[in-house]
Amino acid sequence: MLKTAMTLTPSPARASAARIGIGGPVGSGKTALIERLIPVLAGRGVDLAIVTNDLVTKEDAERLRRSGLIDPARVSAVEAGACPHTVIREDPTLNIAAGDALEAAFPGLDLLIFESGGDNLASTFSLDLVDWWIFVIDVAGGDDIPRKRGPGVLRCDLLVVNKTDLAPHVGIDLPAMLSEATAVRGGKAMIATNARSGDGIDAVADAICRAVLFAP
Amino acid sequence: MRVIDRIVGSRLDPEIAHRLHHLDHRHAVDILAIDSADMARRRLRATTRGGEEIAIALPREETLFDGAVLILDADRAVVVRVGAERWLRLAPRDKIAALELGYHAGNLHWRVRFDGDDLLVALEGPPEDYLARLGDLVSGGRVTHGLDARNEAA
Repeated sequence: MLKTAMTLTPSPARASAARIGIGGPVGSGKTALIERLIPVLAGRGVDLAIVTNDLVTKEDAERLRRSGLIDPARVSAVEAGACPHTVIREDPTLNIAAGDALEAAFPGLDLLIFESGGDNLASTFSLDLVDWWIFVIDVAGGDDIPRKRGPGVLRCDLLVVNKTDLAPHVGIDLPAMLSEATAVRGGKAMIATNARSGDGIDAVADAICRAVLFAP
Repeated sequence: MRVIDRIVGSRLDPEIAHRLHHLDHRHAVDILAIDSADMARRRLRATTRGGEEIAIALPREETLFDGAVLILDADRAVVVRVGAERWLRLAPRDKIAALELGYHAGNLHWRVRFDGDDLLVALEGPPEDYLARLGDLVSGGRVTHGLDARNEAA
């Protein structure tokens, strides 16, 4: 990446890894999305690590560590112990510390992904913790979710609508749901995915690389 | 695309102000306007008023601020200007309406300020989205509203 030196004083500061958040309701496919993103991002040369958040266990971290997709040491777990949004918004100290520890352990990291514990539609990330964040909802959760105008859906930088393959099985008009999601977000970015098959994952990786890693 | 990985300083710093003054005479000071809602981001892409797209990638311990100088070369500078923050002024008719309004604002995690008897809500979307959440408090006239000009620059 091209870096241009400043002229006033020598530049002592180095940008630390980009930090992004992935939030969304329980079961919407946040961990599945990350499992799909890991090889795609690695294939693009992105050096990454992950911080997972669970309520009282390390379930998501263990799942990623067992996946064989990433060095288990690059996955750190935070136990929220309370409403998951408290540790990504109100007081993200535990997550910031976990991210700092990973950066210290793996110098040269390009990207840190913070996966929130499953939460409700009001869940949002503090920009003290992340630079950019994704909210994942899923088709099977109901086509009325965008209409409910939850802050998570409205404010995220990228809305991912997952499990598109389930639409015909749960009576969802997918194009109408996507159209409503775009409308409530005032046209902000949205990508439809099927994390099981991998559909849409390249587009999510493109969005991440463009937004915080400054790919063309 | 130029990557900014540190803030040079503040436009209020005497030495920097002196250099900016001279560059400004040559119309060589470009402005990067950033929305107030984006100021906490350490990383973002943005386009200056002069049309240059730049990437900001600051260390975690640094944050943008109004007047932050991002580039200060011999022949040009780029200075951050924060977009005006918009506030929705909500005026409850009585104490009961005020209590109810306070409950909703807290429940919805709105960022607020107090101004006398009024509640000011920082807008991160269209005001209609906020008013809709208050339902009959607004439609019934128990809370009146307006966009607040006096606090925009705060």
